[in-house]
Amino acid sequence: MPECNATTERMPLLLTESLDPDTRELTHQHIETCAVCADEWSAFQETWRLMGDLPDYDVPPRVKEQFLMRAGLAPAQQQPAGNPAGNVVPFHRRQAFKWVAQAAAVVVLVGGGFFAGHRQPAGLAPTPATVTPVGPYDRVGYSNKITPMALAETRVLDADNLSPEIQGRPNITNVQCVDCDASDGQIGVSFDISSRWTVTGNPKDKSMLRLLSYMIENEESTTPRSTTMEWVRRMYSDPAFADPQIANAMAKVLRSDEHEGVRIRAVETLRNFPPEVATQTRDALIEALKSDPNPAVRLKAVEALANMIRKGEVLDTATLDTLRQKASQGDENLYVRVKAAEALGSIKP
Amino acid sequence: MKHLSDQELMRIVQAGDPSPASEIYDRYSSKIYNLAYRFLRNAQLAEDATQDVFVKMLKHANSFNNDARLLTWLFTITANWCRDHMRRSENRNRASVEVLDELPASVERFDPHRTLERNEAERRVARALDKLKFDQRQAVVLSRYEGLSYAEIAKIAGCSEGAVKTRVFRAMEVLKTALMEDEESRRAGRGNDEEAGAGESHPEVTNA
Repeated sequence: MPECNATTERMPLLLTESLDPDTRELTHQHIETCAVCADEWSAFQETWRLMGDLPDYDVPPRVKEQFLMRAGLAPAQQQPAGNPAGNVVPFHRRQAFKWVAQAAAVVVLVGGGFFAGHRQPAGLAPTPATVTPVGPYDRVGYSNKITPMALAETRVLDADNLSPEIQGRPNITNVQCVDCDASDGQIGVSFDISSRWTVTGNPKDKSMLRLLSYMIENEESTTPRSTTMEWVRRMYSDPAFADPQIANAMAKVLRSDEHEGVRIRAVETLRNFPPEVATQTRDALIEALKSDPNPAVRLKAVEALANMIRKGEVLDTATLDTLRQKASQGDENLYVRVKAAEALGSIKP
Repeated sequence: MKHLSDQELMRIVQAGDPSPASEIYDRYSSKIYNLAYRFLRNAQLAEDATQDVFVKMLKHANSFNNDARLLTWLFTITANWCRDHMRRSENRNRASVEVLDELPASVERFDPHRTLERNEAERRVARALDKLKFDQRQAVVLSRYEGLSYAEIAKIAGCSEGAVKTRVFRAMEVLKTALMEDEESRRAGRGNDEEAGAGESHPEVTNA
């Protein structure tokens, strides 16, 4: 009976796949041998399933409008043309005002120009501007000079290294004066800038591989990583470009990403990699098959391993042991067990 | 702003520029609204909660730790808002929920309830969730609908992982019982209807 109590208490953890493999196995073993707990487990599963009947609702658009208004970010209300509100008196411009306004504008312009031309210089002595060609702009075909440039989260630059020309319309926010004291002839301004970068290079370049690996592994990336992985898969499925670094990046995603959809995409990507990186691929798939908490990911992993065996890319002790263990593991998902057994059956003596 | 990460957007807000608020709202308002709705079972309150959560996000942006996950922080604000609201006006709130369930479908602003009324399964689950204490509901909703780990739920609820496990377990026990009882009463009701229906098909004619 104490074992039944402990098993029942673990059932929610079993539903959320939060149990360690050993406890999960013990719990399943008890459920299979105890009719009372088997009934309880069915009831828990049914309750969990029924809770899925509560769908997500859409937020009414007015909530955003009201929030933006409260935050002082609401756009100005547009009044439909030709349909003024009942209590608004239309304003008709008078011709005389037009001439007065134009005369006032001329006075302001002339006066402003005179003032600008005769005002004393500010306390800061002018420094002769030096225009230096921008290093990173140099590309093969434009110049032989290549200035190495690191992508970085923060960067400190001398003004001399920055072209006075601003290209396009980069988005600059969060402007702060970090050194506003000009007495030493130096000032400093700090800001966040978002701009579009295009990096070109050979798929085998170390810098290109590092960049792509970072994109795949970076969980904060806003482009869905599954999309990035898709075009990396297409590019690096070509044996000419096979590279262990990309395979290792994909293995890292498979090992650590919290979203099973991304992990499944990682398995599919690894599955398509050429035999040149079979070792990295095999290790990642074995690890996923052994320890991924989601049965769908484990199923994809065992299918990918079976595929590699059929193609003759892997046939080693580690793979065979893992498949044997999975095929005979009582608490493993049935489909995973069947696929593991099929993979073993496909091996020719 | 769409290409910026949550942390980058929050750094801008922390520097005093509220312009990323709209983008953050677009990313997470649905999750906040649905979480509040599942806590409170009241569409109007869920709307109020959603607005207030994002206003609080702007107001207290500097207390956000940029190493943390923004959604978890927003969930914490949402849970606190709902808990405070329920503490302040528990009786009034419960009464209003009952009224809302009876509101006619033509009241546009209660769309979610109209949907709910059309779907008996949804109503059953919602009724079962109503039987949970706030802490239990918080734990089970964050686990079932948001897929959060017990560690994340513990951070939001301000308790230990062990406490979260206990709350989820007790919540599941309550839900299981409530759904089973609901099913039994539904069957019994159906049985009575059938009996009544059988009576109607063979009426006794007393006044010929």
